Amino acid sequence: MEITISDLWQSAPMVSLTLTGLVALLVESMKGGRTTAVYGLSLAGCALAFVFSLWSLGSEVIVFNGMILQGGYASYFSMVFTSSAFFTIVLSRPYMQRLHREQGVLYILILFATVGMMLMASAMDLIILFLGIELMSVCLYVLTGFVRTKVTSNESAVKYFLLGAFATGFLLYGIALVYGTAGTTNLKLISQSFAQLSGNSLFLMGAGLLVIAFSFKVAAVPFHMWAPDVYEGAPTPVTAFMSTGAKAAAFAAFVTVFIRTFAITGTPISEVVAFIAAASMILGNVTAIAQSNLKRMLAYSSIAHAGYMLSGIAAGSAEGETGILFYLAAYTLMNMGAFGIISWVEQQDDTKLTFDDYAGFSAQRPVVAAMLSVFMFSLAGIPPFAGFFGKYYVFLAAVKADLVWLAVIGVLTSVISVYYYLRLVMVMYFRDGNATIEERVPGFAFAVIGVIAALVILLGLYPSLVVDISKTFFKL
Amino acid sequence: MDLFTIVFYFLAIITLGAGAVVVFSRNIIHAAFALLFAFFGVAGLYVLLMADFIAITQLMIYVGGILVLVLFGVMLTSQVLDVQMKSGTIQTFPAVLVVSALAGTLVGIFWSTPWKTTAAAPMEVTAAKIGEMLLTSYLLPFEIASVVLLAALIGAALIARREKNA
Amino acid sequence: MGIQLYLYLSAILFMIGVVGVIARRNAIIVFMSIELMLNSVNLTLVAFSAFLGDVTGQMLVFFVMTVAAAEAAIGLAIIISLFRNKQTVNLDEINILKW
Repeated sequence: MEITISDLWQSAPMVSLTLTGLVALLVESMKGGRTTAVYGLSLAGCALAFVFSLWSLGSEVIVFNGMILQGGYASYFSMVFTSSAFFTIVLSRPYMQRLHREQGVLYILILFATVGMMLMASAMDLIILFLGIELMSVCLYVLTGFVRTKVTSNESAVKYFLLGAFATGFLLYGIALVYGTAGTTNLKLISQSFAQLSGNSLFLMGAGLLVIAFSFKVAAVPFHMWAPDVYEGAPTPVTAFMSTGAKAAAFAAFVTVFIRTFAITGTPISEVVAFIAAASMILGNVTAIAQSNLKRMLAYSSIAHAGYMLSGIAAGSAEGETGILFYLAAYTLMNMGAFGIISWVEQQDDTKLTFDDYAGFSAQRPVVAAMLSVFMFSLAGIPPFAGFFGKYYVFLAAVKADLVWLAVIGVLTSVISVYYYLRLVMVMYFRDGNATIEERVPGFAFAVIGVIAALVILLGLYPSLVVDISKTFFKL
Repeated sequence: MDLFTIVFYFLAIITLGAGAVVVFSRNIIHAAFALLFAFFGVAGLYVLLMADFIAITQLMIYVGGILVLVLFGVMLTSQVLDVQMKSGTIQTFPAVLVVSALAGTLVGIFWSTPWKTTAAAPMEVTAAKIGEMLLTSYLLPFEIASVVLLAALIGAALIARREKNA
Repeated sequence: MGIQLYLYLSAILFMIGVVGVIARRNAIIVFMSIELMLNSVNLTLVAFSAFLGDVTGQMLVFFVMTVAAAEAAIGLAIIISLFRNKQTVNLDEINILKW
């Protein structure tokens, strides 16, 4: 079978982003004022890929000999990833300049990681899924250890790398067993023979190993051990990227395999996923209460959010898929905003990261404090912010799939989570503090955070904007 | 027992023995050399399975590439001239727990699965077939692999380079 | 000779690798154990490929090897940069690495 030019055109978001990365690499290697050029080029590449994705949202095609899906589901996720990459690049510049560590390579690696994420969301073949995960992970390992002179950055990179590679082993063993029983790695063919395969215990073992591997990537209990330490040790903009883009990509792959390919409702797989979801919600929320460092608090909160979204996967239905898609868009925005402000306040010696440092913040920086409050309310799932509808949709899907107990745990643990999210708001508004925030010029990054805050409110008021689109995506 | 079976068991013993040495040896140099034998054992098994191309690739990438990198890693992170080349504690309890759960399930499943006992007709030279597929239906993964390698190259150079002012 | 012999063998090799990752505390030994796991997966794939008479499995092995090489380069670079700052690759001496 031949590959034609039209295959390339139809994969425009991915192809354009890869080419931007390559051109940026050439620019980076030339002499003279290059970092700013690479920065601008990378932002332009993300914006272009976003526009291409938006353009192709309505048309769905399978290209490259059944290897990838373009348009629809893939485009939706491409938009999430390119936004996440765009915000990350914008946040990284002031952050890295403060550390005197700005290098164009940082932006190029973010671009390549984004290409990997797009592949994960568009994969129609387990080989592509594997390569996408690895492309993303390889870039993230380097980004985590980007601040080479800082021991915490080194340590978290080693930890992330070793556990990530360990998870890759499980992923591949799962793929091998699925291939051995299904005789193919093509997801479409596997979905057609799923009914008879689901009685094969070797196939179920393969699927179980895939659940383990994906749970590692989304940081769900009991495979979450890496997340708090890596989130804390990585440079804050990279943490933001990992907790939004990378998590969304892992969920895109999770949904592709376990909802769109396998019909897991009523199989043992669904029970296992439901158990992981419940454990993540409980452990994530309870442990988050005890944290004093905001990056760690958000790490445990991201484990809890992985649990909420996993209840959509346990439901295994189209409603679950829609819920997760909406949830991921909302989660990416609000988490990006929260990390954006944290990285804006953070000092270069890793201080100003605790709750106490935000005492009296509202008096000093009323606008920033208001925006951070919006993100916290949204993360806590308080209406009318975007986070509320995300939870509403996934829990509704769980109830419809007869997983009422899971939805009940979800609602109860959400109530717990209100405590630690609102604690930050309380500290900012009601506690007098002498913690002075260093004078910072409200630059471009600041404007972008404002846009994100507006989007979080917009999605909360009009959730149907996203939900209606995601309902039109075709099924395998 | 035919010759194939004897060779299989021979290679299996080499591979598993070497694997056990990698994991349990307290001397990191011994572990690295045991890894060499494990890689060779697996390559031999590929030959038994008539996968000629993969067997050669195994030798080139794993033995020629990865193992050399690992040895560099060992040399660069240990005081080679120092007798202290020991490598750390062993935590057996969690390992035994996890592995026995996993192994129990896997063996149970393998035991209960009815296996085909005969191989499909052996494929003729696989290199030509793999090469053809890489440039036709598997062109996209092939290109992605090149991007993965490029990203790894940039990243490794960036991370491992010495600080200019340190 | 049936395929199950190869599958048992690779399952045992995988378990040996898992033991190494969980039990050992030297970053490089952990990395070598992960390589053992990947080798066992490759063996499974080639065995399935041979018994299914389908070359896709070998294709996958080829990509796994490519990625393993990329990961080896990255991983050892990260471990070396840690060593440079900290003079140790022993995971017990790493503060935040308490797993």
